[in-house]
Amino acid sequence: MIRAALVMLSLVLPAGAEVTTSVVAPPQEGSVSREDGLAAWDRVHAVVSHPRCANCHVGADNIPMWSGPEYPQTGPHGMNIDAGDSRIGAETLPCATCHVTSSAPANGPNDAPAAMIDWQLAPVDMIWFGQSSAQICAQMSDPARNGGRDWIQLAEHLRDDAAHGGFVAWGFAPGGARQPAPGDLQSHIDDVLKWGAAGQPCPE
Amino acid sequence: MELTVNGQRHQIDAEAGMPLLWVLRDILGLTGTKYGCGIAQCGACTVHIDGMAVRSCQIALADVGGEVTTIEGLGTPDAPHPVQQAWIDHQVAQCGYCQSGQIMSAAAMLALQGEPDDQQIDRIMSANLCRCATYPRIRAAIHDAARRLATG
Repeated sequence: MIRAALVMLSLVLPAGAEVTTSVVAPPQEGSVSREDGLAAWDRVHAVVSHPRCANCHVGADNIPMWSGPEYPQTGPHGMNIDAGDSRIGAETLPCATCHVTSSAPANGPNDAPAAMIDWQLAPVDMIWFGQSSAQICAQMSDPARNGGRDWIQLAEHLRDDAAHGGFVAWGFAPGGARQPAPGDLQSHIDDVLKWGAAGQPCPE
Repeated sequence: MELTVNGQRHQIDAEAGMPLLWVLRDILGLTGTKYGCGIAQCGACTVHIDGMAVRSCQIALADVGGEVTTIEGLGTPDAPHPVQQAWIDHQVAQCGYCQSGQIMSAAAMLALQGEPDDQQIDRIMSANLCRCATYPRIRAAIHDAARRLATG
Protein backbone atom coordinates (compact mmCIF):
# COMPACT_ATOMS: atom_id res chain seq x y z
CA MET A 1 0.00 0.00 0.00
CA ILE A 2 2.66 2.49 1.02
CA ARG A 3 4.84 1.45 -1.89
CA ALA A 4 1.98 2.15 -4.29
CA ALA A 5 1.57 5.61 -2.84
CA LEU A 6 5.29 6.26 -3.04
CA VAL A 7 5.27 5.33 -6.69
CA MET A 8 2.41 7.70 -7.31
CA LEU A 9 4.19 10.48 -5.46
CA SER A 10 7.48 10.13 -7.31
CA LEU A 11 6.88 12.82 -9.87
CA VAL A 12 9.72 14.06 -12.03
CA LEU A 13 11.09 17.58 -11.86
CA PRO A 14 9.00 19.71 -14.21
CA ALA A 15 10.65 20.71 -17.47
CA GLY A 16 11.94 24.24 -17.55
CA ALA A 17 12.01 24.55 -13.79
CA GLU A 18 14.44 27.09 -12.36
CA VAL A 19 16.81 25.86 -9.70
CA THR A 20 19.24 27.44 -7.29
CA THR A 21 22.96 27.05 -7.86
CA SER A 22 25.42 27.43 -5.02
CA VAL A 23 29.03 26.58 -4.32
CA VAL A 24 30.67 24.31 -1.74
CA ALA A 25 34.15 25.69 -1.05
CA PRO A 26 35.38 24.09 2.18
CA PRO A 27 38.09 25.83 4.19
CA GLN A 28 41.08 23.71 5.29
CA GLU A 29 40.10 21.48 8.20
CA GLY A 30 41.33 23.10 11.40
CA SER A 31 41.77 26.52 9.80
CA VAL A 32 38.77 27.96 11.63
CA SER A 33 38.97 28.66 15.40
CA ARG A 34 36.53 27.08 17.81
CA GLU A 35 35.19 30.54 18.63
CA ASP A 36 34.53 31.33 14.97
CA GLY A 37 33.11 27.84 14.51
CA LEU A 38 30.65 28.36 17.35
CA ALA A 39 29.67 31.73 15.90
CA ALA A 40 29.05 30.01 12.56
CA TRP A 41 26.98 27.36 14.34
CA ASP A 42 24.81 30.06 15.92
CA ARG A 43 23.97 31.33 12.44
CA VAL A 44 23.31 27.77 11.23
CA HIS A 45 21.05 27.23 14.22
CA ALA A 46 19.10 30.42 13.45
CA VAL A 47 18.30 28.87 10.07
CA VAL A 48 17.48 25.31 11.07
CA SER A 49 15.35 26.36 14.05
CA HIS A 50 13.37 28.82 11.94
CA PRO A 51 9.76 27.78 11.38
CA ARG A 52 10.31 27.44 7.61
CA CYS A 53 12.67 24.57 8.41
CA ALA A 54 11.69 23.27 11.84
CA ASN A 55 7.94 22.97 11.24
CA CYS A 56 8.56 19.83 9.17
CA HIS A 57 11.59 18.53 11.13
CA VAL A 58 9.34 16.96 13.75
CA GLY A 59 9.52 13.85 15.89
CA ALA A 60 8.08 10.36 15.78
CA ASP A 61 4.48 11.52 16.11
CA ASN A 62 4.78 12.46 12.42
CA ILE A 63 2.66 15.57 12.91
CA PRO A 64 3.95 18.73 11.20
CA MET A 65 3.71 22.00 13.11
CA TRP A 66 2.33 25.43 12.40
CA SER A 67 4.51 28.02 14.12
CA GLY A 68 6.01 31.41 13.39
CA PRO A 69 4.70 34.93 12.82
CA GLU A 70 2.15 33.75 10.25
CA TYR A 71 0.25 31.84 12.92
CA PRO A 72 -1.55 33.29 15.96
CA GLN A 73 -0.20 30.48 18.09
CA THR A 74 2.08 27.47 17.82
CA GLY A 75 0.30 24.17 17.34
CA PRO A 76 0.02 21.07 15.21
CA HIS A 77 -0.79 21.45 11.50
CA GLY A 78 -4.49 22.05 11.06
CA MET A 79 -6.95 19.57 9.51
CA ASN A 80 -5.82 16.71 11.74
CA ILE A 81 -2.81 16.11 9.48
CA ASP A 82 -0.68 13.05 10.26
CA ALA A 83 2.15 12.29 7.81
CA GLY A 84 2.48 8.72 9.10
CA ASP A 85 5.62 6.62 9.40
CA SER A 86 6.13 7.13 5.67
CA ARG A 87 6.57 10.85 6.48
CA ILE A 88 4.81 11.67 3.20
CA GLY A 89 1.27 10.96 4.34
CA ALA A 90 1.02 7.72 2.37
CA GLU A 91 -0.98 6.05 5.16
CA THR A 92 -3.46 8.89 5.43
CA LEU A 93 -3.51 11.99 3.29
CA PRO A 94 -0.42 12.54 1.14
CA CYS A 95 1.27 15.87 1.84
CA ALA A 96 1.32 16.38 -1.93
CA THR A 97 -2.48 16.41 -2.07
CA CYS A 98 -2.36 20.08 -1.04
CA HIS A 99 1.39 20.88 -1.12
CA VAL A 100 1.60 20.22 -4.84
CA THR A 101 4.87 19.62 -6.63
CA SER A 102 5.36 22.81 -8.58
CA SER A 103 7.69 24.36 -11.13
CA ALA A 104 6.93 27.75 -9.55
CA PRO A 105 7.03 27.09 -5.81
CA ALA A 106 7.09 30.72 -4.63
CA ASN A 107 3.30 30.82 -4.72
CA GLY A 108 0.72 33.14 -3.23
CA PRO A 109 0.47 33.99 0.46
CA ASN A 110 -2.62 31.86 1.01
CA ASP A 111 -1.66 28.91 -1.17
CA ALA A 112 -0.34 25.75 0.41
CA PRO A 113 3.48 25.95 0.31
CA ALA A 114 4.96 24.01 -2.58
CA ALA A 115 8.38 22.81 -3.68
CA MET A 116 9.80 21.33 -6.85
CA ILE A 117 10.08 17.94 -5.14
CA ASP A 118 7.27 16.12 -3.37
CA TRP A 119 6.42 17.63 0.01
CA GLN A 120 7.40 15.48 3.00
CA LEU A 121 8.65 15.53 6.57
CA ALA A 122 12.35 15.17 7.31
CA PRO A 123 13.42 11.79 8.78
CA VAL A 124 12.61 11.30 12.47
CA ASP A 125 16.30 11.26 13.45
CA MET A 126 16.58 14.80 12.16
CA ILE A 127 14.12 16.28 14.64
CA TRP A 128 14.69 20.01 15.12
CA PHE A 129 11.32 21.33 16.30
CA GLY A 130 11.45 22.06 20.03
CA GLN A 131 15.07 20.97 20.34
CA SER A 132 17.85 23.06 21.90
CA SER A 133 20.76 24.43 19.90
CA ALA A 134 23.04 21.86 21.58
CA GLN A 135 20.68 18.99 20.71
CA ILE A 136 20.41 20.00 17.06
CA CYS A 137 24.18 20.52 16.86
CA ALA A 138 24.78 17.04 18.27
CA GLN A 139 22.36 15.53 15.76
CA MET A 140 23.80 17.34 12.77
CA SER A 141 27.35 16.31 13.63
CA ASP A 142 26.44 12.64 14.23
CA PRO A 143 26.62 10.61 10.97
CA ALA A 144 24.30 8.02 12.55
CA ARG A 145 21.59 10.68 12.71
CA ASN A 146 22.42 13.02 9.83
CA GLY A 147 22.21 10.67 6.88
CA GLY A 148 25.80 9.43 7.18
CA ARG A 149 27.37 12.75 6.23
CA ASP A 150 30.60 14.43 7.26
CA TRP A 151 30.71 18.24 7.38
CA ILE A 152 31.54 18.66 3.72
CA GLN A 153 28.79 16.23 2.72
CA LEU A 154 26.33 18.23 4.83
CA ALA A 155 27.16 21.31 2.75
CA GLU A 156 26.93 19.28 -0.46
CA HIS A 157 23.51 18.03 0.64
CA LEU A 158 22.31 21.63 0.98
CA ARG A 159 23.68 22.51 -2.43
CA ASP A 160 22.22 19.42 -4.10
CA ASP A 161 18.79 19.69 -2.48
CA ALA A 162 18.55 23.29 -3.65
CA ALA A 163 19.67 22.28 -7.14
CA HIS A 164 16.64 19.99 -7.28
CA GLY A 165 14.30 22.75 -6.13
CA GLY A 166 13.88 21.08 -2.75
CA PHE A 167 13.06 22.42 0.67
CA VAL A 168 16.45 24.00 1.41
CA ALA A 169 16.00 26.48 -1.44
CA TRP A 170 12.32 26.92 -0.58
CA GLY A 171 13.14 27.85 3.03
CA PHE A 172 15.02 30.92 1.86
CA ALA A 173 12.46 31.85 -0.80
CA PRO A 174 9.08 30.54 0.39
CA GLY A 175 6.97 33.00 -1.57
CA GLY A 176 3.83 34.82 -0.56
CA ALA A 177 4.02 36.68 2.72
CA ARG A 178 5.87 33.86 4.46
CA GLN A 179 8.89 34.90 6.49
CA PRO A 180 11.98 33.24 4.94
CA ALA A 181 14.72 31.58 6.92
CA PRO A 182 17.39 34.17 7.86
CA GLY A 183 20.19 34.92 5.40
CA ASP A 184 20.62 33.14 2.12
CA LEU A 185 21.55 29.67 0.92
CA GLN A 186 25.17 30.45 0.03
CA SER A 187 25.81 32.06 3.44
CA HIS A 188 24.22 29.04 5.11
CA ILE A 189 26.45 26.64 3.18
CA ASP A 190 29.50 28.76 4.03
CA ASP A 191 28.54 28.75 7.73
CA VAL A 192 28.10 24.97 7.76
CA LEU A 193 31.59 24.66 6.24
CA LYS A 194 33.14 27.09 8.75
CA TRP A 195 31.54 25.16 11.60
CA GLY A 196 32.79 21.93 10.08
CA ALA A 197 36.33 23.17 9.52
CA ALA A 198 36.40 24.18 13.19
CA GLY A 199 35.62 20.55 14.15
CA GLN A 200 31.84 20.94 14.44
CA PRO A 201 31.91 22.54 17.91
CA CYS A 202 28.59 22.53 19.77
CA PRO A 203 27.30 24.87 22.48
CA GLU A 204 27.15 23.49 26.04
CA MET B 1 -0.83 21.97 -23.81
CA GLU B 2 -2.14 18.42 -23.76
CA LEU B 3 -4.24 17.21 -20.88
CA THR B 4 -6.02 13.88 -20.39
CA VAL B 5 -9.22 14.15 -18.38
CA ASN B 6 -11.54 11.21 -17.74
CA GLY B 7 -9.80 9.24 -20.46
CA GLN B 8 -10.17 11.94 -23.10
CA ARG B 9 -7.27 13.91 -24.51
CA HIS B 10 -7.64 17.65 -24.82
CA GLN B 11 -5.48 20.37 -26.33
CA ILE B 12 -5.68 23.25 -23.87
CA ASP B 13 -4.87 26.79 -24.96
CA ALA B 14 -4.30 28.52 -21.63
CA GLU B 15 -1.63 30.12 -19.48
CA ALA B 16 0.78 27.56 -18.02
CA GLY B 17 0.06 28.91 -14.54
CA MET B 18 -3.72 28.56 -14.77
CA PRO B 19 -4.96 26.35 -11.91
CA LEU B 20 -6.25 22.99 -13.06
CA LEU B 21 -9.61 23.82 -11.47
CA TRP B 22 -10.08 26.76 -13.85
CA VAL B 23 -9.22 24.54 -16.82
CA LEU B 24 -11.71 21.90 -15.75
CA ARG B 25 -14.59 24.24 -15.05
CA ASP B 26 -14.16 27.16 -17.44
CA ILE B 27 -12.50 25.53 -20.44
CA LEU B 28 -13.72 21.93 -20.37
CA GLY B 29 -17.08 22.68 -18.76
CA LEU B 30 -16.65 19.98 -16.11
CA THR B 31 -18.43 21.84 -13.35
CA GLY B 32 -18.88 18.90 -11.01
CA THR B 33 -15.58 19.91 -9.39
CA LYS B 34 -16.26 22.88 -7.15
CA TYR B 35 -14.43 26.06 -6.22
CA GLY B 36 -14.57 26.44 -2.45
CA CYS B 37 -11.73 28.41 -0.89
CA GLY B 38 -9.03 28.49 -3.56
CA ILE B 39 -6.27 27.93 -0.97
CA ALA B 40 -6.32 24.18 -0.25
CA GLN B 41 -8.24 24.63 2.98
CA CYS B 42 -11.57 23.01 2.12
CA GLY B 43 -11.13 20.14 -0.36
CA ALA B 44 -14.12 20.98 -2.59
CA CYS B 45 -11.92 20.99 -5.70
CA THR B 46 -10.40 17.54 -5.15
CA VAL B 47 -9.69 15.49 -8.29
CA HIS B 48 -7.41 12.54 -8.98
CA ILE B 49 -4.12 12.77 -10.87
CA ASP B 50 -2.99 9.23 -11.67
CA GLY B 51 -5.23 8.08 -8.83
CA MET B 52 -3.91 10.42 -6.15
CA ALA B 53 -6.20 12.99 -4.59
CA VAL B 54 -5.02 16.50 -5.47
CA ARG B 55 -6.52 19.91 -4.78
CA SER B 56 -7.09 21.20 -8.31
CA CYS B 57 -7.08 24.84 -7.16
CA GLN B 58 -3.42 24.44 -6.19
CA ILE B 59 -1.82 22.79 -9.16
CA ALA B 60 -0.96 24.75 -12.27
CA LEU B 61 -1.79 23.37 -15.70
CA ALA B 62 1.91 23.07 -16.54
CA ASP B 63 2.55 20.94 -13.44
CA VAL B 64 -0.14 18.32 -14.10
CA GLY B 65 2.01 15.26 -14.68
CA GLY B 66 -0.60 12.56 -15.14
CA GLU B 67 -4.15 11.65 -16.13
CA VAL B 68 -6.88 13.61 -14.41
CA THR B 69 -10.09 12.04 -13.17
CA THR B 70 -12.96 14.22 -12.03
CA ILE B 71 -16.24 13.31 -10.39
CA GLU B 72 -17.75 13.02 -13.89
CA GLY B 73 -15.21 10.32 -14.75
CA LEU B 74 -15.31 8.34 -11.50
CA GLY B 75 -18.57 6.67 -12.42
CA THR B 76 -21.75 7.31 -14.36
CA PRO B 77 -25.41 7.53 -13.29
CA ASP B 78 -25.91 4.07 -14.80
CA ALA B 79 -22.71 2.62 -13.34
CA PRO B 80 -21.70 4.64 -10.31
CA HIS B 81 -18.44 4.05 -8.49
CA PRO B 82 -19.04 2.14 -5.22
CA VAL B 83 -18.34 5.33 -3.28
CA GLN B 84 -20.92 7.22 -5.34
CA GLN B 85 -23.46 4.40 -4.85
CA ALA B 86 -22.85 4.43 -1.11
CA TRP B 87 -23.30 8.22 -1.11
CA ILE B 88 -26.68 7.81 -2.79
CA ASP B 89 -27.77 4.96 -0.53
CA HIS B 90 -26.88 6.92 2.62
CA GLN B 91 -28.23 10.19 1.18
CA VAL B 92 -25.05 11.85 2.38
CA ALA B 93 -25.46 15.20 0.65
CA GLN B 94 -27.31 18.07 2.24
CA CYS B 95 -26.50 21.19 0.18
CA GLY B 96 -24.08 19.04 -1.81
CA TYR B 97 -21.45 21.65 -2.62
CA CYS B 98 -18.52 19.83 -1.00
CA GLN B 99 -19.64 16.36 -1.96
CA SER B 100 -17.75 15.81 -5.20
CA GLY B 101 -14.53 16.65 -3.34
CA GLN B 102 -15.54 14.37 -0.46
CA ILE B 103 -16.25 11.50 -2.86
CA MET B 104 -12.99 11.96 -4.76
CA SER B 105 -10.99 11.99 -1.52
CA ALA B 106 -12.83 8.94 -0.22
CA ALA B 107 -12.33 7.03 -3.47
CA ALA B 108 -8.59 7.77 -3.51
CA MET B 109 -8.29 6.66 0.10
CA LEU B 110 -10.20 3.41 -0.42
CA ALA B 111 -8.00 2.51 -3.39
CA LEU B 112 -5.14 2.29 -0.88
CA GLN B 113 -6.68 1.59 2.49
CA GLY B 114 -8.96 -1.43 2.27
CA GLU B 115 -11.38 -1.04 5.16
CA PRO B 116 -10.34 1.95 7.28
CA ASP B 117 -11.54 2.42 10.85
CA ASP B 118 -13.14 5.62 12.12
CA GLN B 119 -9.82 7.10 13.18
CA GLN B 120 -8.27 6.49 9.77
CA ILE B 121 -11.29 8.00 8.06
CA ASP B 122 -11.08 11.09 10.24
CA ARG B 123 -7.38 11.49 9.57
CA ILE B 124 -7.83 11.23 5.83
CA MET B 125 -11.08 13.12 5.39
CA SER B 126 -10.58 15.94 7.89
CA ALA B 127 -9.09 18.17 5.18
CA ASN B 128 -12.43 18.02 3.33
CA LEU B 129 -14.81 20.44 5.00
CA CYS B 130 -18.60 20.17 4.98
CA ARG B 131 -20.46 23.27 6.10
CA CYS B 132 -23.66 21.24 6.53
CA ALA B 133 -21.74 18.92 8.87
CA THR B 134 -22.74 15.71 7.11
CA TYR B 135 -19.68 14.05 8.62
CA PRO B 136 -21.52 11.15 10.32
CA ARG B 137 -23.14 10.19 7.01
CA ILE B 138 -19.84 10.63 5.15
CA ARG B 139 -18.20 8.23 7.58
CA ALA B 140 -21.04 5.71 7.30
CA ALA B 141 -20.95 5.83 3.51
CA ILE B 142 -17.19 5.29 3.47
CA HIS B 143 -17.54 2.19 5.66
CA ASP B 144 -20.25 0.92 3.35
CA ALA B 145 -18.23 1.65 0.20
CA ALA B 146 -15.18 -0.08 1.70
CA ARG B 147 -17.25 -3.22 2.26
CA ARG B 148 -18.59 -3.08 -1.30
CA LEU B 149 -15.10 -2.67 -2.72
CA ALA B 150 -13.77 -5.52 -0.56
CA THR B 151 -16.46 -7.90 -1.79
CA GLY B 152 -16.17 -6.73 -5.41
